[in-house]
Amino acid sequence: MRLALCGALVLVAVALPATGAGASDKIRVVATTTDLKALTEVVGGDLVDVDALARGNQNPHDLEVRPSLMVKVRRADLLVTNGLELDQWAEVVVQGANNPKVIPGATGRIDASQGLLVLEVPTTRVDRSMGDVHPVGNPHYTLDPGLAPAITANIVEGLARIAPSQRAAFEQNRKAFLGRLDPAMARWTTAMTPFKGARVVVDHNMWLYFLTRFGLLQAGTVEERPGIPPTPGHLTRLIALMKDEHVKVILSAPWSDQKLAERVGQEADARVVVMASGVGALKGTDSYLDMVDYNVRAVAQGLR
Amino acid sequence: MRSLAGVCVVLASLLTGSPASAQDVESLKKELEQMRQQFESMREGYEKAINQLGERIKALESKQAAPSTAGPSPTAEAPPSATSPTTAGSSSVASPPTVATPPAAATPSTAGAPPTTGPAPTGTAPAATPAAPPTVVAQQPAAPPPAAAPGLMELARPREPFSLYQQRGAGQLLFDMGVTGDFVGNLTQNNVQQAQGGTFPGLENYFFAREVELSLFGQIDPYARAEVRFEADQNQRGQTPTVTLAEANLTLMTLPFDTQAKLGQMRNRFGLTNQIHEHDLPFVDRPDVLVQFLGQDGLVEKGAEFTWVPELPFYVEVLGGVFNGDNTTAFGYASLKHPLVTGRVRTFFELGDYGAIQLGASVANGLQPNGLTNTLVGADLKYKYVPDGWQHPLLTVAGEFLYQLRRVSDPTTADPTQTQTLDRYGWYLFGEVQPAQFGWWSRFAPGLRYDWTEYPINPGSQWAIEPYLTFYPSEFLRFRLVYKHTHGNTPGCCTNTGVGSARIKDEVFLQSTFIMGAHPAHPF
Repeated sequence: MRLALCGALVLVAVALPATGAGASDKIRVVATTTDLKALTEVVGGDLVDVDALARGNQNPHDLEVRPSLMVKVRRADLLVTNGLELDQWAEVVVQGANNPKVIPGATGRIDASQGLLVLEVPTTRVDRSMGDVHPVGNPHYTLDPGLAPAITANIVEGLARIAPSQRAAFEQNRKAFLGRLDPAMARWTTAMTPFKGARVVVDHNMWLYFLTRFGLLQAGTVEERPGIPPTPGHLTRLIALMKDEHVKVILSAPWSDQKLAERVGQEADARVVVMASGVGALKGTDSYLDMVDYNVRAVAQGLR
Repeated sequence: MRSLAGVCVVLASLLTGSPASAQDVESLKKELEQMRQQFESMREGYEKAINQLGERIKALESKQAAPSTAGPSPTAEAPPSATSPTTAGSSSVASPPTVATPPAAATPSTAGAPPTTGPAPTGTAPAATPAAPPTVVAQQPAAPPPAAAPGLMELARPREPFSLYQQRGAGQLLFDMGVTGDFVGNLTQNNVQQAQGGTFPGLENYFFAREVELSLFGQIDPYARAEVRFEADQNQRGQTPTVTLAEANLTLMTLPFDTQAKLGQMRNRFGLTNQIHEHDLPFVDRPDVLVQFLGQDGLVEKGAEFTWVPELPFYVEVLGGVFNGDNTTAFGYASLKHPLVTGRVRTFFELGDYGAIQLGASVANGLQPNGLTNTLVGADLKYKYVPDGWQHPLLTVAGEFLYQLRRVSDPTTADPTQTQTLDRYGWYLFGEVQPAQFGWWSRFAPGLRYDWTEYPINPGSQWAIEPYLTFYPSEFLRFRLVYKHTHGNTPGCCTNTGVGSARIKDEVFLQSTFIMGAHPAHPF
């Protein structure tokens, strides 16, 4: 007991000065995914220090809750979340971080999905016989560059709650970002125009916003149901469908089973296009614009 | 409205019932008139607002009914929405798509997406018009407007018991709930059954509901969250499962100095495995050392735990707890005047990008039912290796060591005040691999656990080895096949009935576990 007490006192002694030493003037933000991190950085600029919980090439649906993630959230002034249950594991991180600034309902929480028109909101009762469905709609909205303005607007609001005096700076940063996004959007739209109406297959139903933005159609998924590996019967039907409808491209995330996608592609005479499922997921996708740029080029090359 | 009417009634009764003077009556009349005027102006205001809302709804409905021919043009105007960000329209690409294609709806039978969860199709099958721009689908804002107050008929209408879940959506269900079921069947030698000395005493060669649990958890208010778990389990052969309160506690999340307090009944955060519920254990049974030193159910106490996570470059969690001491195996004095006191320090280090280790130390000190002290000190570690891009660990290695200092009556003297200290210890180590990243074999995870422990009071020790194979058809369903060989080194030990012997036993277990509904993510 005495030993434990001494140990605790030593920890207190070590920790107290450390809490002050790490403090800086920047707003410390943690985003659950790299997409949200990148968009927070463009809005926050030099005024923020942003970290992400998931890596770009990780599957953000099911992240292992490591205490190292709690360390990041412990220091955060602000937590940016997806808001559509993509990152539900973040609640366990928050519970272990002992940081009242970012608990549910606190001002230090940003739900980046606020105000977005969410796709695939279930219109009937859902249960797990349908797989790991998202009951509040498809959460992969950050892959659509057309939604970046709305997402960054949410981030501006959240940052301004923490630092009201810097609102103008955040607005200015956002405007500058949108100034770069506009011509890029025009370029991407031009690049994708020849492929409007083209059909693609995806391994997981995460490209709906992206496809919708550029007028492509999703013919099917390699997964039989969200989060459930496909059965041979499903793959047979999918391959037949791809042949019938001349689907030439399978979009795959870096964390998906690409060997399986290749196998389906070989059978259906389609090519597998590995997409950047998040900022930093692949080489050359270290910024939000780079990520979208990469994905547009990859899809265009695949469909050419 | 109601309050105004109430005021009117009270005023009226005062006017009629009290012998007020004429002046008082006049002034009251004036006040009443003023209130009437205020009420009229409020009513007009509300009527105006309601009419405006009605017009807006009509306008929106007429817009939705009109056939849309435009695709999700990036230059489209943002739809008027009460919840849309105010600055979203400042750029030509600012608007979210006003329309969306129903990709899965085109070929629901082959596309794989469940048809009931996809966006509602609107009649134009994209398969028939592949070159056509995306058609309109139903889209819903993330936060629907609040529902109108139910009428009397609505309130009187019979409801299904769980119709609450059917209404689940943003703002509908205020907490999460889930049900887990954990069933175990086992086979062992007859002498072990006679001795009722199996891993699940009294349930040898039997299939039983080990734990069926209803969990309710969520935020109470902005400052606190709570969890309540009811558990049905079977402890005797032929017995109907009994329902008990497994856990019920609240966590205050906004205490000073970034501390948290958990109050109520809880599985104590003592060591590595004690806090884990039966269905979540990485093996079929609790490790032998925990069963010997803390009993079959482990340490489940009523009291308070306080945690503090100092702001350091690495993770450290410091925990202290004060409890009644209701555990009859180790700390059964059951009094806050002589409470069970627990402490734990836990830290964590990343080992490269893919490896990580957690180290912990725990202590528990309290009185036994006979009033003599007992102290348990523990150390634990857990290592996981998750290769790049994997969703589950390729390798998990974990272990725990417990050391006991227990005061007991000195058996060499008849004087009950003469006591001696028994220092006993035990440990276990387990490893599990899940060798495939994808495909059929990724659902299998073989593992091995080794146990060694002394007995907390009786002399002697035992060891056990337990290979197992876990199969996960999905994230929410699990089957586990286990073999356990236990070897005690004390002749005559290990019987709960006086007949038979469970000193050396071989057991085979088949465990099936399901999770239905909400289940929080597991910590490291």
